Amino acid sequence: MEYVASLLVLIGLYVILASSFNLIIGFGGLISIAHPIFFALGAYTVGVLSTQFGLHPVLSIVAGFVVAMLASFMLSLPSLRISGDYLLITSIGFQLGLLEIIKNLDFVGGASGLGGIPNVVQQHRSLVFAAVALGLAVAVVLGLRALVRGPYGRAIQAMRDDELAFVALGRNAMNIKITIFAVGSGLAGVAGGLYAYYYQYLTPDQFQILQSAMILTMVVVGGMGSVYGPVVGAVLLLLLPEAITFLNLPSSVMGPLQGLIFTSLVILFLFLRPQGLVPSSKRLSAGGGHE
Amino acid sequence: MLDFQTLLQIFWTGLANSTYAVLLAAAFALVLKVVKVWNFAQAGLMGIAYYTMYLAIQKLGWPGYAALVLGAAAAIVAALAMEVFGLQTFRRRHSPPLTFFIFTLVLSELVQYVLAMVAGTEPVSLAATIMSASYIVGGVVVSEWDLKAIAVTVVLMALLFVVMKRTRHGQYMIAAADNPHLSRLYGVNVRRVYALTFVLAAVLIAVAMYLFGTRASMVPNTPLEMMLFAVIAALLGGMGNVFGAAVAAVFLGLLRAFSILVIPSAWQSLILYALLFITILFFPQGVRVARRARKKPAANSAAAGA
Repeated sequence: MEYVASLLVLIGLYVILASSFNLIIGFGGLISIAHPIFFALGAYTVGVLSTQFGLHPVLSIVAGFVVAMLASFMLSLPSLRISGDYLLITSIGFQLGLLEIIKNLDFVGGASGLGGIPNVVQQHRSLVFAAVALGLAVAVVLGLRALVRGPYGRAIQAMRDDELAFVALGRNAMNIKITIFAVGSGLAGVAGGLYAYYYQYLTPDQFQILQSAMILTMVVVGGMGSVYGPVVGAVLLLLLPEAITFLNLPSSVMGPLQGLIFTSLVILFLFLRPQGLVPSSKRLSAGGGHE
Repeated sequence: MLDFQTLLQIFWTGLANSTYAVLLAAAFALVLKVVKVWNFAQAGLMGIAYYTMYLAIQKLGWPGYAALVLGAAAAIVAALAMEVFGLQTFRRRHSPPLTFFIFTLVLSELVQYVLAMVAGTEPVSLAATIMSASYIVGGVVVSEWDLKAIAVTVVLMALLFVVMKRTRHGQYMIAAADNPHLSRLYGVNVRRVYALTFVLAAVLIAVAMYLFGTRASMVPNTPLEMMLFAVIAALLGGMGNVFGAAVAAVFLGLLRAFSILVIPSAWQSLILYALLFITILFFPQGVRVARRARKKPAANSAAAGA
């Protein structure tokens, strides 16, 4: 039961991560690989606030959201000013650079990690966390569904599909890009906060490029630009590694093997089923996304 | 402590260490210019070339030049396979740029994981010792490696210049870079031009990794960071300006070398990312002011001293 509950926590967290990343890359058409760093920022914000200031869990998770969102401006403002292409390159640098900073800062534990995050749930710990994580995941998915099906969502997709026409209609594409990037990143920060409270221990290594590959795989396999695609992708890709843990391989092989599975899945899907398992709605599905 | 001798030493070592960065930046800029793809798979090609040479030298006991040929061959095969089976398919399908980005980047990661599984994550080096014979010239330590690396880089960049500016194939490359559709109408085989570009890039990458490997050691995820350096140089040099990228790589290499004087070593690795941000913020189109004036010097310095 404990095992199932902890798996459910992970599923909830990754559904939030994959869905928020899908908002950025699938709906917004903004290519970034820095999603794990916002996850990390949320987690570290919670870690520092709860260990050093003893802040209330809800407040510190909100702080995690705000910090991740503010950090997203640091990435989106300079790079989106020029063109979408630059975002990817800056995001690689942002991801690696911030992790490097975290490794060198003493008050967040440095390379050895930040421990001692208080346990905020005493009874039925995993079950409570699973309920919170899944509840939040459902809220995020439904919220995003409402967002992209509403007028603002139509504006987002219009901007993605033909930015020139969109601007010609007098709309501000820059505002939309920065907003969805901030919202997506903030949601990753929330997932990070939850992660910190559940595992009570953080190291910079947990937020490496493997995480980027994993979240990207969930979105590509599930279906970019569809609301439920990343949910399917997240569930599937969390259950898959659980299956190979039964093979009892040494951890030095396990890590790379997982990475190998994720990356080859992405490549296979790019070739064979670019629209993902759950294609986005008909209007957009031509050519597996957008032109 | 900060006497002239020290500064000169830092300059020389920084210059020598920027040689492989120059080759990598040129390779990246070349593909970007002609094929119009941000070739993030370059890190994968670097890994393949490096570990092939490692296998040949350390496990099979081949001499250096034979290993280099084998490494270059492996990089060429990998690059062509990626172009033929990957990029051509996506071009035919008119896939969105997103697909190209994800494909090249994920390919690099895939190679990284394969290498980690096959070769482990211990640092490996190509040479038995990274020390090489050195002389003292005017109070500055000059090693044989420095001289060899600089000579090789200068010769390769000069060759690249000649190929691009003086041969038929080079003209095709520039034509295809300028307007692939029009060049096709004029009878240029654009596909072959792209393939040639990848072959040239693969050779540059293999030589760069050979130089790097006889000086330092690396683990499977080193190429990603090294590639970032090449990307910054390509951005700074101006999109699609191959020799501008090479000059930018020298400049960045020297900047990094001299930063040792002012920045503590724990924060050294951050310089690269700071530079990336400065570049994106202030020089998104490359260094424009100097560009027109630099076009000739860039070519000359590539031919005369990089």
